[in-house]
Amino acid sequence: MKKVLVVTLVVLMVVSMLVSCSQPASPPSEEPKAPTEDTKAPEQEKEPEEQGEEGKAWKIAVMPKLIGIPYFNASEKGALQAGKDMGLDVQYVGPTNADATEQVKMIEDLINQGIDALCVAPNDPAALSPVLKKAKDAGIVVLDWDTPANPEDVVYSINQVDQQEYAQLYFDKAVELAGKDDFKYAILTGGLNAANLNGWIDAGLEYAKEKYPNLQLVTERVPTDESQQLAYQKTLELIAAYPDLEVILGYSTPTPLGAAKAVREKNLIDSIIVVGSTTPNDSVEYLDDGSLDLGFLWDPSKLGYLAVFAAKEVLEGRELSDGQEVPNVGKISVDGKIVIMGPPSVWTKENVRDYDF
Amino acid sequence: MVEKLIHNIQRNLQLYLLLAILLVLFIVMSVLSPSKFFTPNNISSMMFQMAELGVLSIGMSIVILTGGINLALSHSSMLAAILGTLVMQAMVAAGLNPLLTILVGSVVIIATSLILGAVNGFFIAHVGVLPMLVTLGTRSVFEGIGLNITKGSAISGYPAEFDFIGNGVFMGIPFPFLIYIIVIIVSILLIQRTSWGISVYMIGGNIKATELSGINTKKVLMGVYMMCGILCGIAGIIMASRYSSARTDYGSTYVMQAVTATVLGGADINGGEGTIIGTVIGVAILQVISSGLNILGVNRNLVDIIIGAILIAVLSIRFFTKFERRIKKSENPV
Repeated sequence: MKKVLVVTLVVLMVVSMLVSCSQPASPPSEEPKAPTEDTKAPEQEKEPEEQGEEGKAWKIAVMPKLIGIPYFNASEKGALQAGKDMGLDVQYVGPTNADATEQVKMIEDLINQGIDALCVAPNDPAALSPVLKKAKDAGIVVLDWDTPANPEDVVYSINQVDQQEYAQLYFDKAVELAGKDDFKYAILTGGLNAANLNGWIDAGLEYAKEKYPNLQLVTERVPTDESQQLAYQKTLELIAAYPDLEVILGYSTPTPLGAAKAVREKNLIDSIIVVGSTTPNDSVEYLDDGSLDLGFLWDPSKLGYLAVFAAKEVLEGRELSDGQEVPNVGKISVDGKIVIMGPPSVWTKENVRDYDF
Repeated sequence: MVEKLIHNIQRNLQLYLLLAILLVLFIVMSVLSPSKFFTPNNISSMMFQMAELGVLSIGMSIVILTGGINLALSHSSMLAAILGTLVMQAMVAAGLNPLLTILVGSVVIIATSLILGAVNGFFIAHVGVLPMLVTLGTRSVFEGIGLNITKGSAISGYPAEFDFIGNGVFMGIPFPFLIYIIVIIVSILLIQRTSWGISVYMIGGNIKATELSGINTKKVLMGVYMMCGILCGIAGIIMASRYSSARTDYGSTYVMQAVTATVLGGADINGGEGTIIGTVIGVAILQVISSGLNILGVNRNLVDIIIGAILIAVLSIRFFTKFERRIKKSENPV
């Protein structure tokens, strides 16, 4: 008797938990559905005469590589803001780990949920290719952002910066700061698996070989698991192993901070230059004392905004054009499927407080 | 006799409880999003998604039955799949028959993962290192080898027919799900219907006593980790086909999900207790929650919280029902 009672109680508990947990989230995803489906048909008929300026409540899903890290939290802000500004039903969903297989499952579920457009930052282009084809077959407009998917799977590929330009920026800035082009340097990277980081590093090394042939890379790129703590430890090891190290290039946002911390601790602020991709809010304290010499990145919230904007344009039958002025983002450049948001922002001690993310 | 009957009911009660939870969750999800959850499309994609985690979870379950754990689960799968992919790439380039290519590739994948399983088994059974430490080590080793071969990116290049294994539908049922069903049946037969299976449970209960009762525990443990290896290989084939590529970190989140499904399914993490069918229901519960909440558009962090909460609720229930049984026993010592 007692057992039955216990079982009933648990079942009730689980059910009530589920209902209460999913209730707040379900209305926003359910309610706008009606206008979407109601307006879609007339919209397509009317399309030629009114180019949908007043905006339809399109359902757009934006999927980052993972949720819960500052970078993708910032882009979430931008994506949701775009939804608000343009009257779209934007949902920002992604796995809690940067795992391509999780993304595949979530996209399958999104297809079943019924969305109009998907902007995805794939953890792996190859793994997502079959499911993106499935999405396309289901009539969903597919774009990539932040990290490219296979070009044939997407309508547009939203890039932060010109990859080549960004790769060269590292070396140009380092040479400029060092005032010479024959220094010894090391490369810290987020992970050996990350395609975009590898792309920048490879392109940069290629560029350095031609433009600055006297630079000496002391060791292979050092992986840090996207962790500031590990970047700090690896930098201490690098400093111990190569006492004449002069420059550290940090790829992936936590790495320059970890490197700067190590440099500060070893009192090498004047002899070691640290530059790399980092977010301004996190780098203020390191820029202030000079342990970090220069940080650069793009604004991830603008990137999220641009992704949603581009999806809406495609849904309403318009094309993006080179030099187009996007509200809240700025001038974009477009070359075929490749959309580039703009040049990277560079921050120093002087201007870092002008940014907020 | 009566004892046995009570025990049977007790054991089945756990299963009924799980089935009830699964059913309730299914109904709740169907009610919350009627036009999207309870649809042929969604049911079919849930079947597709369940297969790989399901096969890996069964592998994890048999290891947990002996009181062990296999943290190298997904990395064994993927290292084997990477080697198989290389072989298939070469055979495609040589223009060999596609079906032969797939057959040879699959055999390579299963053979490799069998060997990887045997490596785990050797250090655990013969050297006597704790399973958690061994597999933590081999996890890094397998990942490192995989990274060295692939340089971190995904590799692919299969015959077009290979797609069918992970994405095909056979007689209306997703093909990977059919593979999963075969794996379930074979595993149940092996673990719950053979004397070898009984010795697996005995090792989990008390390895010293099992050894003293004349069972070659080393051999049994080797067998367990090799069987887990084969299952990793099968999951590796399904994943390589479903994602039409192989990469070291595919499915790295499955390790903890497999542990969750196993424990949810009624297994004791210390070994000696648990059923394959319990794990299968555990996997199904995770799938229904995951798909259902994704369709509702619930934040993924919240999904993790809900899965964790359900796990804790089920474990508490189990603890209290066991507790009650223990008290009753001590009340009537004879």
